Amino acid sequence: MIDDVTTSAQIVRAIGVRKVFRMGDEEVQALKGVNFSVRRGEYIALMGPSGSGKSTLFNMIGGLDKPNAGRVFIDEVDIAALSTIELAWLRCHKIGYIFQTFNLIPVATALDNVMLPLLFADVPATDAQDRAVELLKKVGLGERIFHKPVQMSGGQQQRVAVARALANNPAILLADEPTGNLDSKTGHAIIELMRELNESEGVTVISATHDYKMLSVSDRIAWLTDGVIERFAKRDELDIKEGSTDVRH
Amino acid sequence: MTPMQQIAILPYRKVIAIAMRGLRFRLVKTFLVTCCIALALAFLTYILCSNGMTAHLADRASDALQQRLAREGMLDQLKSADKQSQTAWMLGIALLISFVGIVNAMLISVTERFREIGTMKCLGGLDSFIVKLYLIESLFQGVVGTVLGMVIGVILAYVEGVGRFGGDTWNLLPPGELAVLLVVTFGTGIVLTVAGALYPAWRAAKMEPVDAMRSEV
Repeated sequence: MIDDVTTSAQIVRAIGVRKVFRMGDEEVQALKGVNFSVRRGEYIALMGPSGSGKSTLFNMIGGLDKPNAGRVFIDEVDIAALSTIELAWLRCHKIGYIFQTFNLIPVATALDNVMLPLLFADVPATDAQDRAVELLKKVGLGERIFHKPVQMSGGQQQRVAVARALANNPAILLADEPTGNLDSKTGHAIIELMRELNESEGVTVISATHDYKMLSVSDRIAWLTDGVIERFAKRDELDIKEGSTDVRH
Repeated sequence: MTPMQQIAILPYRKVIAIAMRGLRFRLVKTFLVTCCIALALAFLTYILCSNGMTAHLADRASDALQQRLAREGMLDQLKSADKQSQTAWMLGIALLISFVGIVNAMLISVTERFREIGTMKCLGGLDSFIVKLYLIESLFQGVVGTVLGMVIGVILAYVEGVGRFGGDTWNLLPPGELAVLLVVTFGTGIVLTVAGALYPAWRAAKMEPVDAMRSEV
């Protein structure tokens, strides 16, 4: 099920990816040979019930896990070949992470949170500060740069997290259930923000989600079941209703 | 891609700033750990000081004091081997408890902060950064606790000394010996806290960035 787009336009390529976990004497096959690719600038949603291997695939795309067999390329780099330090570099420069639980550093202000990945990337402090302020303005928090996470609502915290994820101009924005801890309206605003950034910055968005609001803005949706990608759907093939999603055939 | 071009080793100044921010945020815990170190080190300083004073009774105490102590039979009592070995035991136990306390507090802090550590790794933080963060946090508590303990210990030893030996107390311990004693105590405190943080720091550094995704605590 490899796409027909050319290799250079692909930001993520997974070829025959297998992953096996050991649970005591039992072997659990989380991924059973997944082929998957994402175009540069695409907005893609990964869906699947728990236990479908969705998280495992998601972690591999994010450079957080390595396959037992098959290969995962992120921006043409085989992640299995990377050392610990090179993986840290990849996470720092190529991938921006957004978490369900926001994961801001609780002791740090919004500004310090956004500056952290910039400091890890060796950006001089004054440049890092300018960049962080610019990003916080872009996500609509220009007035709250000195607020700490506890002083902000969930939606605002997730906006800080989006700004932080974009700090080093990553090629991929990797979002793990970004609306899972938000109410419907706030969640919608975050989805819109990510879509805007996807269009204005050209950043590829890959999101694991159960949220149907997310699907309506995605270019493509990949469904995982039992460790394989069951099917792909394009947005225009989707017929999204409240609470259900069907693919027109 | 040339990965090594911009992987940052954060300067110590930055790591210290981040560590201090963490300590301020967890003020109560920081205070408790510092107190635990201070107590053990106060005990150590006190014992070393009063042992030093007793050792010099024969050569540095005035005749009047020596006669009084001999009359009261205190000289033998103070030097008895029984009492000294008992003190050594108590000292060892106090230091051990303090060490276990540090390891425990740091391990809890690692477990508690799994998401923060995972997130930092997702943002490009290196293992060495995490290790430095924990060692600096511990070192800071160690320095503050040790200095505090040394001050308390010296005060206690001299207060007790004045009660027993009167004005002679001030002459008993030669300044050089006191200095050596304080250096030894300081060293003990620092070694204790840094050694106590080594394993927790290593555990923190070995955490996977994917831990940041865990939703359950």
